[in-house]
Amino acid sequence: MNTLNVHLFDLTTFLFGTATGSYVAALYGRKESLARIGTWICIAAAVVSTAAIGVRWAESYRMGIGRVPVTNLYESLVFFAWSINLFYLIVERKYGNRSFGAFVVPIAFLAMAFAFTIESGIQPLVPALQSYWLHAHVITCFAGYAAFAISAGVAAMYLLKERRGGDKTPGGVLAMFPGTRVLDDLVYKSIAWGFPLLTAGIITGAAWANFAWGTYWSWDPKETWSLIVWLVYAAFLHARVTRGWHGKRAAVLSIAGFAATLFCYLGVNLVLSGLHSYGG
Amino acid sequence: METTTEIRSEGVPIPKSGADRHVKTFGTEIWNFLISLKLAIWTLILLAVTSILGTVVEQNQPLEKYQQVYEDWAYNLIVRFNLFDMYHSWWFLFLLCLFALNLTCCTVDRFPRAVRAVRRPKLILDEATEKSIGLAERWKNKGTVPQLAKSYKNALSRSFAAPRITETEGTVHLYAEKGVVSRFGAYATHVGILIIFIGAILGNLFGFKSHMNIPDGAQGSHIDIRGGKEHVDLPFAVRNNRFWMETYPNGQPKEYSSDLSVIENGREVVRKTITVNDPLVYKGIWFYQSSYGQATATAQLSVIRPDGTPLGSFSLPANEPARIEGYGVIRGVAYEENFQGKGPALKVAVEKGGRSATEFWIPKGGFDLDRRRGDSAVISFGGLTSSMYTGLQVAKDPGVNVVWLGCLLLTAGMMVSFFGSHRRIWIRLSEAQKGKVEITAAGTTNRNRPAFEKAFAAVLIEIRKESPDKTKEIAA
Ligand code: HEM
Repeated sequence: MNTLNVHLFDLTTFLFGTATGSYVAALYGRKESLARIGTWICIAAAVVSTAAIGVRWAESYRMGIGRVPVTNLYESLVFFAWSINLFYLIVERKYGNRSFGAFVVPIAFLAMAFAFTIESGIQPLVPALQSYWLHAHVITCFAGYAAFAISAGVAAMYLLKERRGGDKTPGGVLAMFPGTRVLDDLVYKSIAWGFPLLTAGIITGAAWANFAWGTYWSWDPKETWSLIVWLVYAAFLHARVTRGWHGKRAAVLSIAGFAATLFCYLGVNLVLSGLHSYGG
Repeated sequence: METTTEIRSEGVPIPKSGADRHVKTFGTEIWNFLISLKLAIWTLILLAVTSILGTVVEQNQPLEKYQQVYEDWAYNLIVRFNLFDMYHSWWFLFLLCLFALNLTCCTVDRFPRAVRAVRRPKLILDEATEKSIGLAERWKNKGTVPQLAKSYKNALSRSFAAPRITETEGTVHLYAEKGVVSRFGAYATHVGILIIFIGAILGNLFGFKSHMNIPDGAQGSHIDIRGGKEHVDLPFAVRNNRFWMETYPNGQPKEYSSDLSVIENGREVVRKTITVNDPLVYKGIWFYQSSYGQATATAQLSVIRPDGTPLGSFSLPANEPARIEGYGVIRGVAYEENFQGKGPALKVAVEKGGRSATEFWIPKGGFDLDRRRGDSAVISFGGLTSSMYTGLQVAKDPGVNVVWLGCLLLTAGMMVSFFGSHRRIWIRLSEAQKGKVEITAAGTTNRNRPAFEKAFAAVLIEIRKESPDKTKEIAA
C-alpha cells in the first residue's frame, strides 16, 4: 500500500542522501558552497518530512484509525530522522559551521534508508498500544535518541581533531572543524538535551506499563537496554566533571552511549526478544 | 571540571583532630572512596555492562531449560551467578547497594556545604577571586564612591538582580546573583533516585502481583500469589458482569473490555468498565484487563418428582458430579448440538446408591421429554450456556506513588540543573586619585558561559550609562 505519505518519506530519504553527499564532498573538496547546498537540501527535507508526517496523520484518520504517527518501527524511524535533521539545522545555525553535516546528516539518511526497506503501511493499533503514555513515550525517547546522534557525530569529530594534535592542526579538512573546546562543549550540550528527554521517555514508558500491565518495571530486554543507555550517559555526565575523565574519555563515552542507543532501538528487536511492538 | 573544583574550594577542610591518627586516616580514606565521583562512574559503567547479561540469557525459565540450551560450563556459570534471575542476584543487588551508598554519602558530604556556600556567598571581590574569574573589566570614572555605588546599584538591579552592598575601608563591593537553585538541581536528581529505590523496595516488600479469571456473571475474591505459594482473600469481591471484545474491520482486535463491579458486604460499591489501558482501582488494589477466554460450558438442569414436587435446579459443569438429595449423583458426560436430528441434547450419567451408573440422553426441552424413562425423578435440560471469562491482572503496589514522586523530583532536578545557571556579578568601587573612582566588574557562571558573556556585556553597558557626572566627563 503506497500512499502519499510514503512517497513523501521516500523523497525525504533521497534528499538526505543528496545532502549527505554535498556535506561530505564539501569537506573533501574544501568547498563551502557545496555545504551551503547541503543546508538548503536539509531545509527542504525538513519541510517535506514534516508534511509527510502531517499527511500520514490525516490518512490514518481517513482510514478510521486516527492516531499520532509514532507507534511502529517505520514511524519511529522517520520521527528519529526528522528530529536529527531539526536538531542539526539548529546546531548549524547556532555555531555557524557546516562541517557537522558530514557527521550527523548521514545518520538521518541511514535511518530513512532502513525505513525504506520495511513495512510502511498504516496499521490499526492493538489494544495495548492505545495509550497517550505511549505517544509521549515514543516522542520523548526518539527526540532523545536524535540528540544522542548529534552528540556522537560531534564526538567523532572531536576525536579526529584531538588525534591530529587538536587546535594546532595545520590546515586540512580538520581546520574546517570548530575548535576542540567548542566540539567538547557541543558533545555535552547535546547530551544535556538528550538525557532529560530519555529520562522522560523511560518514565512515561514506565507509566504506560503500569497502566497497561500493572508493573512499571519488569526488566524486559527493551527496558533494560534503555536503562543501560541511561547509565552510560549518566557516567558521561559525571566523567565530564571529574579530573582525568573529561575530553577524550567523555567523547568515547558519548559514542559508546550512542552505540548502546542503537542496540536498544534496533538490536533488541532484531537480536533479542521482548514485548515491544516496533520490532520488524 | 568547573563545578567540582568550585564546590571543593568552598568547602571546609576535613578536621584533623583525633587521638588515633592512623585510624582516622583509614576512615577518611574509606569515606573519600565512598563519596568519590570515580566510584560513581565505575559503578554506573559496571551496572550498565552487567545488565547486558540478563538481556542475553533469558530470565526466569525452569533450570532444565538452561541445561538443555547451554554447554555444561555455561550452565554452571548461570547457576553459580544466578544469571537466570540476575536482576535479583546477590551480586547485582550488591552493586545497586554500593551505588545507593555512593550517592547517599556524596549527598551527605556536599549538600551542607552547598547550602552554606549559597547562604554565605562571597560578597567581596578580592584579588584572588578577581584573578580566578576570566570575565573582568576595569575602568575609572569621575565622582565619589558613595555616589557611584548608589547609581550602579540601581543599574544592576534593573539589568540583572538587586545587589548586596558591603563596605570595607572606603571600598564598596556590590554583589548580585541569579539562579541559585541551579546549584541544587543535581541534589534533587540524586535524592529522586534514592526515593525511587525506596518506592521499589516498598513495592517488593508489601505488594503482590497475581492473576484471576472470572467468568461472565461470576465473582472472585481469592487470589494466589508468589507462584501459588501464598493466598490472599481480598476484603471485597470483584464481579465480572460481562466481557466483550471489539475488532477492526479487518478482524484485528481493537479493544477488550470488562464491565466490573466491586461487591463489598453484599452491596455493589463501585462499577467500572475497564479496558487494556484503563484499570479499576479499589482500596489500593489494581485490576487490569490482561486476557480472556472461553469459560467451561455449564448445562442447566431442573429435577422434579414425577408428581411435580421440585427437587432442585442445577448449573452442571462438564463431568462434575452434582448430588440430588433423594435421587442420586448426576454428571453431564456428553453434549450434541443436533442429537438424532432433533436439536441439542445432553448425555448424563446417574449413580443411585452405589449401583453402577446408567447413562442416557435428555433432549433440550420440558420435563415431558424425560417422563418416558419412568424413573423416580424427571429431569429437564434447559440448554448449555457457555460464557467468556475475563483474565484480570491483580496488583497491589504501595510503593508506586513513591516511585512517581522520585521520578518527578528526578526530572525537575535535571531540568533545573541543565537549563538553569548560577550567575554572579561583583562590582568593586574604590577611591583613586584626583576625584576619580576605580571600578572593577567581574562575573562568573557555573554553566553556559557564552550566554552569560552576552548578558554580562549588556549589564556593563547599562552600568556605564549610569555615570552621575556624565556631563562633567564631557566638560572636562
Ligand atoms: C544514575 C545515576 C545518576 C544520575 C542520573 C545523576 C544525575 C546527575 C545530574 C543530571 C547532574 C548534573 C550534571 C551536570 O550539571 O552536568 C549530576 C551531577 C553530579 N552528580 Fe550525579 N547522578 C547520578 C549518580 C551519581 C552518583 C552515584 C554520584 C556519587 C558520587 C553522583 C555525584 C554527582 C556530583 C558530585 C555531581 C556534580 C554536583 C554539582 O554540580 O553540584 N551522581 N548528577
